[in-house]
Amino acid sequence: MSLDTAIVNHHLDQALSSPLFRNAERQSRFLRFVVDAALQFPEAAIKEFEIGVAVYDRRTDYDPRTDPIVRVEAARLRARLREYYEVTPPERVRIDIPKGRYVPLFIPVDGAHAHAVSDLSILVPPFRCLSSDPGDQNFCDGLTEEVLHKLAQVPRLRVITESVAAWLEQREGPKPRYLLEASIRRAGAQIRLTLHLMELTGGGSTQFSNVYQATTNDIFATQERLAEEIRADLSAALHIGNAGRESVN
Amino acid sequence: MDSIVIGHLRESVALLPKEDLAPVDEFYRRLFELAPEVRPMFKPEMAPQAKKFSDMLAWMIGHLEHPHELSREMRELGARHGGYGVKIDHYAPVGSALIWMFQRTLGDRFTAEMEEAWLEAYAFLSFEAERGSLEAAPTGTCQ
Repeated sequence: MSLDTAIVNHHLDQALSSPLFRNAERQSRFLRFVVDAALQFPEAAIKEFEIGVAVYDRRTDYDPRTDPIVRVEAARLRARLREYYEVTPPERVRIDIPKGRYVPLFIPVDGAHAHAVSDLSILVPPFRCLSSDPGDQNFCDGLTEEVLHKLAQVPRLRVITESVAAWLEQREGPKPRYLLEASIRRAGAQIRLTLHLMELTGGGSTQFSNVYQATTNDIFATQERLAEEIRADLSAALHIGNAGRESVN
Repeated sequence: MDSIVIGHLRESVALLPKEDLAPVDEFYRRLFELAPEVRPMFKPEMAPQAKKFSDMLAWMIGHLEHPHELSREMRELGARHGGYGVKIDHYAPVGSALIWMFQRTLGDRFTAEMEEAWLEAYAFLSFEAERGSLEAAPTGTCQ
């Protein structure tokens, strides 16, 4: 699928007029600069120095090795774009600035696919720890992060954290379709995790539930194994991605 | 942040001189050079601010495995900063001054991997601060 300049520019205008970009003046200029450059000179590299001079008002004797402002802002811009696409799934094109370069990619998004993405959104609030032990709370927090990381890699699944859900709510954005709730109990070295996947748009009906058991001998390994099992089970329950338990990473 | 990034962040901070605020003074000196308009947001006497910054850095390094707590702290910080007049564009020179502080203090011991780790960490932390500022803004916009 080829993309014409008008589609990319229209998408860029939409993104830059969103609340996430509206007050981020320099990052908006940064994004417009690299998109314009890539559209006009598709084969050319975009140098850090050029962005420093054009967007951050650096003098022509500026040395990017000792003034990392463009690298700082590139990392922040990538985070802003990720956030933007979580709130506003793209309809026709998605702009990505891969790490280690400044030339953006324009990734075509087919309409049906975009619709499927928005239909496969899942809200994952922090897992509940049914114990007052601070160590257990840390385990819960770490496991939530690991599960978010694994689910973020499932194709077509749009993972929404609690903070993003609040953001969407404020802006009356699209509501997530699914809710993943989990609680953790511990007896000695044994952990028991109870998980429920509910379809919010279906009146909160449970689509899948399971109980997982593990030991806490090696916390990181346990978190990773549980997260991988959860990812595989949810992929299977939602009929998406590769449900194999060892296929991701 | 994965364990490799966390390792680089911790290693870089461990290389800073102990009980010495000179690197933080360097950070603020560079920040005011890059963004002189933020100087009036601070009190004239910078020593207490340097101590606060150093304590905050130590606290963050101790909480890297707890992103929820980091996020909460940064949002509270962002909400306060919004009240002082901090704008989104000010986060760029702060990040730049932070990397500069490590470059100047550690020289060649500040590796490309450490810089990459700080870029990733700062993108996360500053974004959370922005969110805090946005949530605290009465008009619903982040200035």
